[in-house]
Amino acid sequence: MSVAEERIERLHTLARAAATAGEAERARNYVRLARRIAERNRLSLPRTFKRFTCDSCDSYLRPGTNARVRLRDGHVVVTCDCGHQARYPYDES
Amino acid sequence: MSLTPETLPRHELNGLPVRVVESDDATREGLEGRVVIETTNTLHIEVSVSPEAARKRGGVTAEHRENGESRVVQVPKSGSTFEFALTDDAADFEKESGTVSKLADTEPGVDVEDHSSTTPDCAGEGTAYVTVDGARLLSRPARRTETTGDSPWQ
Repeated sequence: MSVAEERIERLHTLARAAATAGEAERARNYVRLARRIAERNRLSLPRTFKRFTCDSCDSYLRPGTNARVRLRDGHVVVTCDCGHQARYPYDES
Repeated sequence: MSLTPETLPRHELNGLPVRVVESDDATREGLEGRVVIETTNTLHIEVSVSPEAARKRGGVTAEHRENGESRVVQVPKSGSTFEFALTDDAADFEKESGTVSKLADTEPGVDVEDHSSTTPDCAGEGTAYVTVDGARLLSRPARRTETTGDSPWQ
């Protein structure tokens, strides 16, 4: 694993810890830094990272605290406190 | 390419336990804590304040943090020398505990330091202390990892 990938991994952990500790603004810093590293090193972010961060305001999302998760027909809708919605599909099986 | 003394200047500094060994400003020397934010020219270090010291200050500055035991100090990279403590399982330990507020077990007993830049000091038991000149870290946080172009981080 390259240094950049590892940094993203670490930042993900840090962002989650900061969000859990109520340091939302700090978590946002970590998310932004991880995004920037991925961009500069042409890496795609891990799927868990994408699903737990807001595309619009870069918050680290904690369902039940600052994110609403609702199931719709064939897809999940995650609504951030800022109002931004992310949708992704799920398999019905 | 894990986080080793060799890769540390290019790696993530946020979350690492750190100590200011030398500084142009004598009041910053000996600061010990965790890196919480990195900027181009500075590191923000979260220092835990002893309860007495917090009370002496009136507890006003510390009160906004939970349990009022830590404060964040902004230290310029240039003109300072930092000592980072690396544990073998730093990543695991962060994942499991799920919090960064706890300082890693930085026992002062096994503290061997060298003043040349980026010198690994293996102190056994998985903790290595790496001393880095702050001038070596002067860069945008995201830029430090890159090895292409005219990057000094090759």
